[in-house]
Amino acid sequence: MKIDRVRRAIGLMGLVLPMSLAPASVAGQMRIAATAQAYGVSVSTPTANQTSPYAVLPTGGAMATDQGQSIDVAGLVTAQDAFAIVSGDADPEYGSSAVSSATLGAVSLLNGLISTDGVVAVASSSRDATGASSDAEGSTLSNLVVNGAEVADPAPNTRLDLPGVGYVILNEQSRTGDGWSSSGITVNMIHVVLQQPIVGLLGQVLGYRTVGNIIVGSATSSAN
Amino acid sequence: MFRLRNLALLTAPVGIALVAWSCERQPNAVAPSIGTPLAHFFQFECTPFKITGGGRIDYPPGTADKNPPSTHIYETFGAHVIASGQVGDNGQCLADKGSLEWVDHRPDFRINGRPLNLHSIEITFAERATDTDCSDGAGHWGGTLEVKNTGETADFEVFDCDNGEPGVGHDGFGIRAFPVNGQLYEVLCPDESLPPAEPSCTLTGGNRQFHPTH
Repeated sequence: MKIDRVRRAIGLMGLVLPMSLAPASVAGQMRIAATAQAYGVSVSTPTANQTSPYAVLPTGGAMATDQGQSIDVAGLVTAQDAFAIVSGDADPEYGSSAVSSATLGAVSLLNGLISTDGVVAVASSSRDATGASSDAEGSTLSNLVVNGAEVADPAPNTRLDLPGVGYVILNEQSRTGDGWSSSGITVNMIHVVLQQPIVGLLGQVLGYRTVGNIIVGSATSSAN
Repeated sequence: MFRLRNLALLTAPVGIALVAWSCERQPNAVAPSIGTPLAHFFQFECTPFKITGGGRIDYPPGTADKNPPSTHIYETFGAHVIASGQVGDNGQCLADKGSLEWVDHRPDFRINGRPLNLHSIEITFAERATDTDCSDGAGHWGGTLEVKNTGETADFEVFDCDNGEPGVGHDGFGIRAFPVNGQLYEVLCPDESLPPAEPSCTLTGGNRQFHPTH
């Protein structure tokens, strides 16, 4: 009786163990991926919806590019010399890597409320046997002026109010992943959030609601 | 004596004019040739490999430090190549495929009102460099490209280095193309003291990733 139980247990282990190991390694290989996208200008408002130039890494990796010499979106943004470049690759044995960049020359937002003469957004992600990491090194803003004041080398996620308009986040960075099996980053060099006040019955301002977004110089990458 | 003084008076303005003319900025000039590799990228082998990624270089000087943004002295790029490991009829290591996008943002390199923009047409060769300090691998590859500003077709080669993670401050990239606006164009850093392997310039943004293929 006991021998039968032991036999059954060994048999069961013989069936279950390989099943529990094999899918894990296959799944591990299946998860390998590199993604990247970049764009120069994106406007999303009730009256305008446009992203240009825009490049996204094709499935399977390699490279993609797009460019626009002169961009004008609904009088909200003008920009010169915009380039979007993405490249990357995923390999089950050696890991994955993705890099994206968006660059622009002279940019003016909201009739000069914000201006700069050079935007560089760079996002880089990689994953190998030692872990995963991302950074936005190389991202810069040149001669940036916000509401009449010069802003030099803004730290990540610098927020400035724009009275009557909303607010702007400079060098906006957000991260994804666990830093071991995956890592990703998005950097938006200028992100304007357009807001309108919510007015109460007595005319008092109850709060603000977002009515649109303008993003200039965006680069995203991820590796897993 | 009188004649000598007259001669000096006559030649002095000519000399000053010549010096002034030579110092005048050439708006469409491309980088002068600054040399070839000094110590690396001389030994190659035809093996299958892949290099991908892109980023930013701040050349000159091409070190790991960024130039002040207001100078606009930087270049951005994306580059991807797959080497076949096969040898062609002409003895060159053949590339399976690849592509290059290069933008030089320096004000002096604007051509026809736009930043200098190079876009590959065809990648014709790719060989693994075996004499560099690039820890993960290095490649020398190239082919033909279009100068988007002028429509010229140019031959080009790149010196591509993966020196571990992160790419910034470690990896390197350099390019030479001819003709670009009728001249030789180079963004190369032939300085042996610059990590990781001259003549590639050090990345200030992005990453290069090299790996063998089968």
